[in-house]
Amino acid sequence: MYCIETHDLCYRFSKEQTVLNGINLQVPTGSIFGFLGPNGAGKTTTLRLLLGLLKKQEGRISIFGKDLAKNRINILRNTGSLIESPSLYAHLSAAENLQIQQMMYQCSSLRVKEVLEIVGLSHTGRKKTGQFSLGMKQRLSIAIALLHNPSLLILDEPTNGLDPNGIIEIRDLLKKINAEQQITIVISSHLLAEIEKLVTHIGIINKGQLLFQGTLPQLQTKQSLDACFIFQTNNNTAAAAIITACGWEATEQNDLLCLPLAEDQVIASLNRQLVQNGIEVYRIMRQQNDLESIFINLVK
Amino acid sequence: MSFLYCFKAEWIKKKGSLAAWLVIIGGFFTPAIRTCAAIYRSEATRKALLKPDFWNNHWLASWDTIAMFLLPMGVILATSLVTQIEFKNNTWKQLHTTPQSYTNLFLAKLAVILVMLVQFLVIFTIGTYLSGIIPSLIISNAGWPTAAIPYSKIFSDSVYFFMDCLPIVAIQFLLSLQFKNFLVPVGTGMALWITAMISLSWKYSYLVPFSQSALFYLKNSGRITRDLPVHEVALLYFTLITVISYILYITKKEKG
Repeated sequence: MYCIETHDLCYRFSKEQTVLNGINLQVPTGSIFGFLGPNGAGKTTTLRLLLGLLKKQEGRISIFGKDLAKNRINILRNTGSLIESPSLYAHLSAAENLQIQQMMYQCSSLRVKEVLEIVGLSHTGRKKTGQFSLGMKQRLSIAIALLHNPSLLILDEPTNGLDPNGIIEIRDLLKKINAEQQITIVISSHLLAEIEKLVTHIGIINKGQLLFQGTLPQLQTKQSLDACFIFQTNNNTAAAAIITACGWEATEQNDLLCLPLAEDQVIASLNRQLVQNGIEVYRIMRQQNDLESIFINLVK
Repeated sequence: MSFLYCFKAEWIKKKGSLAAWLVIIGGFFTPAIRTCAAIYRSEATRKALLKPDFWNNHWLASWDTIAMFLLPMGVILATSLVTQIEFKNNTWKQLHTTPQSYTNLFLAKLAVILVMLVQFLVIFTIGTYLSGIIPSLIISNAGWPTAAIPYSKIFSDSVYFFMDCLPIVAIQFLLSLQFKNFLVPVGTGMALWITAMISLSWKYSYLVPFSQSALFYLKNSGRITRDLPVHEVALLYFTLITVISYILYITKKEKG
């Protein structure tokens, strides 16, 4: 069962500028879905479309199994969000900012105190949010998103401006609410390392196209499939021919030769063949295959 | 019910804002100046306090600067400030992801501005009353005003001034919803007010937006004798511009 599903979602700011091109997003209910992509990939545009902040041009958006266009208010009643920079009334205190949202969502006034405690801002009293640090503003924005006990949280780069401790705290908080309340969380970021420890599912977007979506193990499998051995020689063309003659497929990439993963004995044997044929082998290495490199490879 | 919650939320937003202070300070400004002037010109005040039409004259004189200048300026500023709270704080996106209809959000914001205008008129009326009695308490040998307070005139004038300010509210509201830059609504408002002031002697000046409160004051104080459909035009403008404003608001492609 998917909490969010999009079908062929397209968005253009102008005829020449296509921001999203046929996005088919599937966010499973109860998951923590990391939405990854470099700056300008289309993450924020997708999330703004999911929240109805942008008028949909093409495609279909379904949240909680309901069409967004027809059920906007019902969907938003169960959705908490934080899009880009914090949205706070600078001349009001944290509690007053929450009171405004409490009126809008018509939830219990007791939640104001509760969420302030959850994000560690209950000590701020009458201090105006305009005087808050960016980290405090970010936490208050998360408190606003959590205020009405939503079933879905859409967070666009929520750890922006937070120090390492703050990032860990927010990560733990999100893990906790996901585990305890089965809240589906969609969290966008341009840094894989930042959300790698948090998410159960990942979607990778670049230049308006969804390049991958699935679970972390699925991404790791893709990683191992994409992993290879790299040879650096003085004559890659000749080396490739020798390796091919030995029954292995080698492809030239820039100044390097790439081979699929093989056992150490195979690599040693290929190396011996190259040397015996007068090829100078400068380097043999296994290509880095952490999540960061697969992400970079995908968005190249 | 849901509109009421929206209205309450909008009311919290204006708390401690410049617009909220503008209503209070603006409401008491002219009465405070008139109180000081009355105390300074004690001899003339002693005589005026005893006149049978004291409250009527006092009420009209109090509206002198307000109707022509301070009220339109105050409405331009307060409407723009209240509406632009969302742009200023980058909160449109937060507001538009709340489970409220766009109609509720639009009407609640407009309603807050209209209630603030009523608030201003009430504060101004109380201020005007105080500016009538304070001099008689301070100036030695000054009598207490014996003239009857013209309650119905005060009420009807206030209602008419409220109606005559509605085109200003509607135009400023429309501009402030559409333009992020605060200078656009305020600058346009000022330009329209200057145009209205220049056009006051024109035969069809009542058709110029922003001229209605000044024209009503001039008529009320006897400086214009011809009949003008000022209030009707004001209501027509308000309705028309508010409908346009609503259509532009709900059809906006980017909502934050």
